[in-house]
Amino acid sequence: MKHIQTVNKPSLQASLKKGGCGECQASCQSACKTSCTVGNQVCETMK
Amino acid sequence: MLDINSGAVHVVDKMIYDMMDTFDGTNDEDVVAALRGTYPEADLREALGELHELMDQKELFAPDIDVPPTFRQSGIVKSLCLMIAQDCNLRCKYCFGDGGSYGQERAVMSPETGRKAVDFLIGKSGPRKHLEMDFFGGEPLMNMKTVKAVTEYVHQREKETGKTIKLTMTTNGMLLNDENIKWLNDNNFAVVLSLDGRKAVHDAVRPTAGGQGSYDRVVKNFHKFVDSRQGGSSDYRGSYIFLRGTYTHKNLDFTKDVLAMRDEGFDTLSMEPVVLKDNPELAITEEDLPRVREEYDRLTKAYMDAHKAGKGFFFFHFNMDLSNGPCVAKRLSGCGAGHEYMAVAENGDLYPCHQFVGREKYRLGSLDEGVTDTHWPQYFRESHVLNKPKCRDCWCRFFCSGGCHANADLFHGEIRDVYEVGCEIQRKRLECALYVQAMLALEKQAKENN
Repeated sequence: MKHIQTVNKPSLQASLKKGGCGECQASCQSACKTSCTVGNQVCETMK
Repeated sequence: MLDINSGAVHVVDKMIYDMMDTFDGTNDEDVVAALRGTYPEADLREALGELHELMDQKELFAPDIDVPPTFRQSGIVKSLCLMIAQDCNLRCKYCFGDGGSYGQERAVMSPETGRKAVDFLIGKSGPRKHLEMDFFGGEPLMNMKTVKAVTEYVHQREKETGKTIKLTMTTNGMLLNDENIKWLNDNNFAVVLSLDGRKAVHDAVRPTAGGQGSYDRVVKNFHKFVDSRQGGSSDYRGSYIFLRGTYTHKNLDFTKDVLAMRDEGFDTLSMEPVVLKDNPELAITEEDLPRVREEYDRLTKAYMDAHKAGKGFFFFHFNMDLSNGPCVAKRLSGCGAGHEYMAVAENGDLYPCHQFVGREKYRLGSLDEGVTDTHWPQYFRESHVLNKPKCRDCWCRFFCSGGCHANADLFHGEIRDVYEVGCEIQRKRLECALYVQAMLALEKQAKENN
């Protein structure tokens, strides 16, 4: 494309059907620990 | 440009940027009419074609996301935080845990209670293979006797059950010595080390119980620890070492603190805003937000400059994998407090997370009784972004998962509310992270094309 560059291959919609295995790390949102915000995590099955 | 419901990130030119003020996927002629005087019509129509192509690929205006069937109705506990020592050898001025005691008598967890916690976790984990146990406080190294006993028991139970329990610890570093370092390394601990940046900043807010600065002592220990692993790993899923800091109203120029840690020789870093109520000296308030936003722009520039100069460092919150991020079910589960994640107080009482320890309304039960509360676990489970009125329409909702429940409770007494100042900072930080990732992706694409 001339006007748009897409920088990722998004997986959010696809994960509606095949996600939820629950094997990923907990993601504390508070500032006192790692504050491992969900958005900064990777899917465990995509290691 | 972020498409919220697909997670697609597009770098667009100025014309597309202007078109998106009008374009809703169905109104091409409105867009042309609005911008015909600014851009050639042929260019506008060409760009509209590209936007429709993205829509066809479901990477623009992707369908709204509702609770998927993959999101289980009730949670499975897979992570525990152990309050190994409700006592501390520092008196940090922003501590949410009342100097480590959490408003209770200073006390440490017994090995027996710690072992019961391991059994509780395994018993509650159902089919989950990967579990976590975090040694927290107060200062966990003040109770190495229990840390060691629990770790030994974890290894035994791993062998017996086939589960993998990842061990993590957050420490202020005061008691890190050669013996502890070797033991933590031998047992594959992931460790978070608390350092607030510049010496003067750190010493002002992290004094010892006797009122002395702690910087010199902990930095010396952190060097030993990081060197013992030949540098830190930045992969939060492995045996990482992170240096993490807290900034307050008094150091809103926190880029200097991040860079001070980098200059000190540490390159795996995190720096986060303090969360305080009724503390005029240190709390970050709405009035500070313009300054905070400006500082994240400064940090972003410093981060990219360092990267370009070949001296890049790892900043946790700028790190994102935009293609392989968590599934929607995970993004709804968020931190899992109260349903997938619980904290065990030193006496064995259970709470939704470490921050709720001592907030008696939220006590869930105990290791001896099990989870006796019938309300909170399900309420926490269902308190996801699609059920939080202030999150439903926020662009950030699938990145932050609604923020910290404990902070919402602290400011509003309701976990389905939000801590607004935290949200504002989160949105700015994510905006910077998306920018960083987009720039790095373009750089990679350019290299591949050459």
